[in-house]
Amino acid sequence: MKLLILLFLPLFAGLLLLITRKYRFSGYLAPASALISLVVTLMVISGVPSGNVSVDWMQVPGVRFNLQLDEISKIMLLLTGLLYPFILLSSWGREQTNQASLQALLLFSQSALTGVFLAGNAFLFYVCWELALLPVFFILLLWGGPGRRSITLKFFIYTLAGSLFLLFGIIYLYLQTPGLHSADFAAMAQLQLPEKTQQWLFWILFIGLAVKMPLFPFHTWQPPAYTTAPPQGTMVLAGIMSKMGIYGVFRLLFLVLPQGVLFWQNTVIILGLTGVVYASVIAFRQNNLKTLIAFSSLAHISLMVAALFAANTYAVQGVLFQVVAHGITIVALFYLVMLTEEKAGTSELSGMGGLKISAPRLALLFMLVMLGGIALPLTSGFIGEFLMITGIFKVSVWFALAGGLTLVLGAVYMLYAYQRAFLGPLNPAPEHKGDIISRDQWWLIPLVILILVLGIWPQPVLNLVLTIPELLRPLPLP
Amino acid sequence: MVTDSYLKALVWLVPLLPLAGFLITGLGRKRLKGHIAGILASTAVVISFVLSVILFFSLRKPGTEPLTVTLFSWITTGELSVPFAFLIDPLSLTMMLIVTGVGALIHIYSIGYMHHDERVNTFFAQMNLFTFSMLLLVMGSGYLLLFIGWEGVGLCSYLLIGFWFKNPDYNYAARKAFVMNRIGDLGFLLGIILMFFTFHSLSFSEVFGKAATFDKGAPVITAITLLLLVGAVGKSAQIPLFTWLPDAMAGPTPVSALIHAATMVTAGIYMIARSGVLFNLAPVTLTVIMVLGLATAILAAIIALKQNDIKKVLAYSTVSQLGYMFLALGLGAYSAAVFHVTTHAFFKALLFLGAGSVIHAMGGEQDITRMGGLKTKLPVTFLTFAIATLAISGIPPFSGFFSKDLILAKAFEHNLVLYVFALGGALLTCFYMFRLLFVVFFGNLRSPEVHPHESPRIMTIPLMILAVLATVGGFLNMPSLLGGHSGFLAFLQPSTQSLETGELAHSTEWGLIFLSLALLGTVFWIAWRKFLKQKHIPEKDDHTLNLAGKIVYQKLYIDQIYAFLLEKPYSWLSSFLFRKVENQLLDPLVDGVGHLTSELGTLTRRFQRGNLSFYLFAMVAGILLFIVFILFV
Repeated sequence: MKLLILLFLPLFAGLLLLITRKYRFSGYLAPASALISLVVTLMVISGVPSGNVSVDWMQVPGVRFNLQLDEISKIMLLLTGLLYPFILLSSWGREQTNQASLQALLLFSQSALTGVFLAGNAFLFYVCWELALLPVFFILLLWGGPGRRSITLKFFIYTLAGSLFLLFGIIYLYLQTPGLHSADFAAMAQLQLPEKTQQWLFWILFIGLAVKMPLFPFHTWQPPAYTTAPPQGTMVLAGIMSKMGIYGVFRLLFLVLPQGVLFWQNTVIILGLTGVVYASVIAFRQNNLKTLIAFSSLAHISLMVAALFAANTYAVQGVLFQVVAHGITIVALFYLVMLTEEKAGTSELSGMGGLKISAPRLALLFMLVMLGGIALPLTSGFIGEFLMITGIFKVSVWFALAGGLTLVLGAVYMLYAYQRAFLGPLNPAPEHKGDIISRDQWWLIPLVILILVLGIWPQPVLNLVLTIPELLRPLPLP
Repeated sequence: MVTDSYLKALVWLVPLLPLAGFLITGLGRKRLKGHIAGILASTAVVISFVLSVILFFSLRKPGTEPLTVTLFSWITTGELSVPFAFLIDPLSLTMMLIVTGVGALIHIYSIGYMHHDERVNTFFAQMNLFTFSMLLLVMGSGYLLLFIGWEGVGLCSYLLIGFWFKNPDYNYAARKAFVMNRIGDLGFLLGIILMFFTFHSLSFSEVFGKAATFDKGAPVITAITLLLLVGAVGKSAQIPLFTWLPDAMAGPTPVSALIHAATMVTAGIYMIARSGVLFNLAPVTLTVIMVLGLATAILAAIIALKQNDIKKVLAYSTVSQLGYMFLALGLGAYSAAVFHVTTHAFFKALLFLGAGSVIHAMGGEQDITRMGGLKTKLPVTFLTFAIATLAISGIPPFSGFFSKDLILAKAFEHNLVLYVFALGGALLTCFYMFRLLFVVFFGNLRSPEVHPHESPRIMTIPLMILAVLATVGGFLNMPSLLGGHSGFLAFLQPSTQSLETGELAHSTEWGLIFLSLALLGTVFWIAWRKFLKQKHIPEKDDHTLNLAGKIVYQKLYIDQIYAFLLEKPYSWLSSFLFRKVENQLLDPLVDGVGHLTSELGTLTRRFQRGNLSFYLFAMVAGILLFIVFILFV
């Protein structure tokens, strides 16, 4: 029952919002729904029995509507449940055209993403995977910035093309299952396909997942899409949708194609590490603050992919911790980017400067979140990156060195961006609009506290992922 | 009789008080008026100091077991188990006393020095945060705890160098410091990870216990120690990562005294001294440390000869003295290095605070060519500065003599060439320090428009206390030569495991002392003749200098070389990757794949029209086809 609430509550709340958009109370619907989801999520994660859901969906053998909950799903649910309230609240009181529709679309995306993370059946998984794309597509197209049409189109086609690979892979796996066939993940995990098959099938599935993350070199849709999307769209994309691909790697690759994973391990790690350095270097000279943070997110996701394929206990636990940590940090960062752009009246760093003088509280919050982003100890970012680099080190010292470069290069581009936006003399060009208002401040402070609390006391989240090696038994984690 | 639990409560209070001070002054920075923030912040550090003293007297007896205090479990997963715990032993006690003692004096001094600044409350909040981080660094019971403090002090250093954030040059200096430190930190972190995989633990006691099973020169130990060294080189500003420290002088002068002279920059020395057990097993690493330290000591001393900014002279002097500490570490004389850390904390903090007093009196002027004749105007500052100059130059009975002489003697035992170079560096130190003293305080004032006056008592009293410490600090370790028992070294030995070396014959030691005193006297005489008798004023710029002088004046052009070799290419690479690779290679490649597919079939041509409803239709139809396929095929 609780899982069904998680799955459908946002959907119904969104529909209700669309119907009652004219009434004043409708403004409270979306945050209220998100808060209820968060409470239910926390209950589900903390082990309150949540019941099983399994119904035959269509008259197709093995295509069932069944939900499953394991530790990996729990991490993803935690991420989704934690972030949506803030994503929705960030649009509160802003003058956005048709705000009710925007919030409804965001709620739809929450339902679809929850479906992705709860699906126990590959077919249900794929349907939710595609459904999650639709609301974001409309958010980009209708609320996006300059150049939104062509950028949205590219984003859409690119990710959809990736999905076709994924679909093909899933169908292939489905057809390999014995008997009347089954698309249940559990059935697929029993397959033990021949090694050669695993090796080629790996790429079919992985390309589909890699586009979504995105991973170098399949990332070119990401910086422009993140830049042009409205802030809430960027938050969903960077905070949660980027983790869909990582989730898929667990579900479809680690559990189903362990031999393929081991065979291509080093290749993917190298792609990931290339992405870390490539995106970090590019971020340094970006003039658009939002694009800069987009490249920074690309670098962080790349490190997570590299660590994921290091495929050992520390690395995988680090990745799962970082899923949550990065989600919080990146949503807070894009929130702050939105506020910075509002206050400076421009998104170009060259037009900013000295904002710390006119907006000291904004500068302070930005600094605190940035420290999480550059993985300072006692922030959540450090725990994740330390475990990930430890895991990568186990594979190769040189890989760890390349991954660790994120510590140096991350500081290089973030501090430079911070200086250009907030320090120095006040840029006389833009009309300054004072400091942030207390409402935004009160939404941001919990995120900052989360970043610090998870850095000082990470054990509650780490405990969730302690049993990962048992869960991933097909792929023995050293 | 003090009970154990009572002591443990004191232990965690030591870092907690500055943390509380940080939170109160930080969160209340808009409401706290006047000196309140300064008084609160200073009180927190003073109480921490008192507690450290109590701890010292409770635990100083030889043979006392180190005290471990565990607060909570920080990270636990698999074999990795890192408690948030403090280790109190002779080494950490020594560092705690320096950090809180010198720190408290500098906090009090800052009440006077910073009172006119509009962001004085923020300043004290950050100073307290620094003290907290530094205490974590020296009190942590394992490498990961040390690393928290290590990066924490780096952050505070960044914040305080860029304290006056409206100045772009200061911001650049702050970033430079943070990034150079981070390069070192990366090495340190990799060292920690390698250590974890080697010893399956990160706590000092377990690592050192298991290290005993390794042979001397074991490759993995050498690798670990070299990686730790990278971290120490960054934090303690050694070649090649030293250029951030002179630039760090952009921060307020008390910051330079506390962070960039007395405490933070000695963290690298602390870390290596703490890991003495490991470094003893790695002779190769020790040799590298020795060479790096000596080279840094001499290089920085040479640059200091021609600097005209009072703080830059002191900054290069700090780099040089840190080099001496590294030299001692490289000789396995970890306790001797920590002894120099201690005396250096006294006299270098004193020099910086004295410089602050001068700058304060000169209305912000830092150029020594525009000073002069201040000895009558600022009598207390002059007297204390002179004492510190005698101490750093190694003239007995001031503290620097004892610690530097110890290092020189160790160098002599090791190798004559090493000794000659080390002594040469000491002579350079003597020359540039007396040059500074004479040019600033003697002769006539060269800025007639300023009317300098002595600083208020809240600033001069810390100067006087530090002057006393800089004078008598050396007696902490009275060598047997003078009838003492080397008490300081003996106290530290259980923590550092310094390599034992044979004692020099007393006659040899006397010989070395007289030799160095004779040479120091000669150098003093040269400086006296040039800057006092001939009233030579350093050149304002490098136009009139000969080639060698020009190169030294320009700090050997190292900043320019780094900019040319690293900063510019990196900036270029960033633009190149974005413009050429991202926008002209990868992106068109994707578009190309798109065009290719569209030309393959007439149906897909609709993509190019951007007809999205068709696209959605195609997707749904595809899914339906899939179902049909499954149902009927």
